[in-house]
Amino acid sequence: MRKPYRWKSFLPNYLILTLFLLVVFLPIFGVLLSSFKTQTEVIQGPFHLPREFQFNNFVNAWTTGRFSDYFRSSIIVALAVVSVSVFLSTLTGYAFGVLSFPFQHILYFLLLIGFMTPFEAVVIPLYHFMYRLGLTDTYWALILPQIGLSVSFGTLWMTGFFRSAPQELIDAAAMDGCSRWQMLWLVLWPLARPAVLTLVVLIFMWTWNEFLLALVMVQKETLRTLPVGLAFFQGRYTADVPRLAAGSIIVAGPIVLVYVLFQRYFIQGLLGGAVKG
Amino acid sequence: MAGVTYKNVWKKFGDVVALEDLTLNIEDKEFLVLVGPSGCGKTTALRCLAGLEEVTSGEVLIGDTVVNDVAPKDRDIAMVFQSYALYPHMTVYDNMAFGLKLRKVKKDEIKRRVEEAAQILGIEHLLKRKPRELSGGQRQRVAVGRAIVREPKVFLFDEPLSNLDAKLRVQTRAEISKLHQRLQTTFIYVTHDQTEAMTMATRIAVMNKGLLQQLDTPQNLYDRPANLFVAGFIGSPAMNFFPAHLRKDGNSLYVDSGDFAVKIPEERNNVYMPFAGKEIIFGIRPEDIHNPDFAPPGIHAAPVESKVDVTELMGYEILLYLVSGKNNYVARVDPRTRFKVGDQVQIVFNMDNFHIFDPSGDPENPVAIR
Repeated sequence: MRKPYRWKSFLPNYLILTLFLLVVFLPIFGVLLSSFKTQTEVIQGPFHLPREFQFNNFVNAWTTGRFSDYFRSSIIVALAVVSVSVFLSTLTGYAFGVLSFPFQHILYFLLLIGFMTPFEAVVIPLYHFMYRLGLTDTYWALILPQIGLSVSFGTLWMTGFFRSAPQELIDAAAMDGCSRWQMLWLVLWPLARPAVLTLVVLIFMWTWNEFLLALVMVQKETLRTLPVGLAFFQGRYTADVPRLAAGSIIVAGPIVLVYVLFQRYFIQGLLGGAVKG
Repeated sequence: MAGVTYKNVWKKFGDVVALEDLTLNIEDKEFLVLVGPSGCGKTTALRCLAGLEEVTSGEVLIGDTVVNDVAPKDRDIAMVFQSYALYPHMTVYDNMAFGLKLRKVKKDEIKRRVEEAAQILGIEHLLKRKPRELSGGQRQRVAVGRAIVREPKVFLFDEPLSNLDAKLRVQTRAEISKLHQRLQTTFIYVTHDQTEAMTMATRIAVMNKGLLQQLDTPQNLYDRPANLFVAGFIGSPAMNFFPAHLRKDGNSLYVDSGDFAVKIPEERNNVYMPFAGKEIIFGIRPEDIHNPDFAPPGIHAAPVESKVDVTELMGYEILLYLVSGKNNYVARVDPRTRFKVGDQVQIVFNMDNFHIFDPSGDPENPVAIR
């Protein structure tokens, strides 16, 4: 017999959850609503529904804000950073998690320093470094440092996954005749999907939202990424709230989309270390 | 086909000695079982042979070749793991074919071998499934199949039955024995379960604390254990031990525990006479303690007074937990026995089958006097 649904005992949980949901969601909802309003409707309050949805705001923002350039830059940078970082993190994670070699612990520690250092502390020397290399005002100046930073975390993340991989499976693969390279790509990589996809989402999100580096490293307008573009855009149209709101939605959209696509694996990946399958 | 030799093998993990000077010669086509409690070094011994661990010193040979520096894949051995260690993203077929594919065996040859192994194991209908769609017993078979298709010189089994339920374990035990007869290859099998060891092995290597205790046939291990550890480990319920004094009385020798004294048959006096007057440990198996009414005829029966503490009816036998003074012990008696808890009874020791151990050398593990 199924127990009757005792909603009363769940009520406090739902009240608290609803409260949190509102705290998180209301501002986003406000921006989303504003992006569909006219200038005058905005003054009537953030949650006042528009009379007619002004899709035009998005077109306006896209063209006047040069978002097509920023979008292209963001996509190029994000794709490069995510793919290279995930690949490298898989290699380093495998090395630290499964293999054993001299100076393993000290190297692991050094790699993690990158993860501990606040980015703001290194951005100026990094600029000079990139300048000497002649890489400022190129995509390289955005891509290379972010790969460096992401691999720190990626190593930590993937090492955690590889360490939790069953030892007997690794042994079985060794006895079956796998080289180290084959063991990684034929046996362990297919099992790593939740961990890898989670890493993809996280690195994508960080890269997409990166502001400071993009602000410092490139001056050319066509190379600017979305967050920087948005900042300049906001500087220009301070009064035009609907257009600003539309711009913000354009910038935030892809992350939400990536998260929605991968969220099942994302949750799996986050739980992967804690709950043994 | 090949035998396996361990020559003075040591394995240390930091300060922990996992294998202490292991020397062991396993013959071609033998079914050798390494048995011992957990942490005794048996799995380490197997992993050193597989190449999954490097030995600290000594030599491991497969056939006549020293394999210390040979990679696991080039040792021509296959292993079945406790957790089966199947590749979860591959079908049963691919799991079995994987090792062959890596060795660049031709496709039709792979197909032939996988199908033949599947037929031997009765898993032909499972070839397209993934491991998660299989029961424990089926996974076990696939793991064995993965080893068979490789046609290795030596098969290694690391506690392959311990994840199965009791009934399936007994069944699979018999199947592995049959497989050994069919394949005529060297099998090395690690277990902590002495029943598995006794039922399957050609010879058993009993290990404890990294040391080989005894290497012998199952029957000899049971009849003539080399020391107290082996005597206590092989057999269930375990052998009873009594600290005692070997008393000389005229021409007779008595085992005197303080609570009872039993006479040693005279034809064995010469073996034990040198230990007269010394402290010893007397051992007798539960099956050599009888209800006098049902004792086999013609044995040297030594009567002992006891109190019945617990009785366990097993159907085909009764386990009696007995108390004699400070000694507790177990007897395995005829099911027609009608003793009740609390009864003061007389039982008999069969003095044709007993063991005496000398604690003067190694008090932790006294050796048998023979």
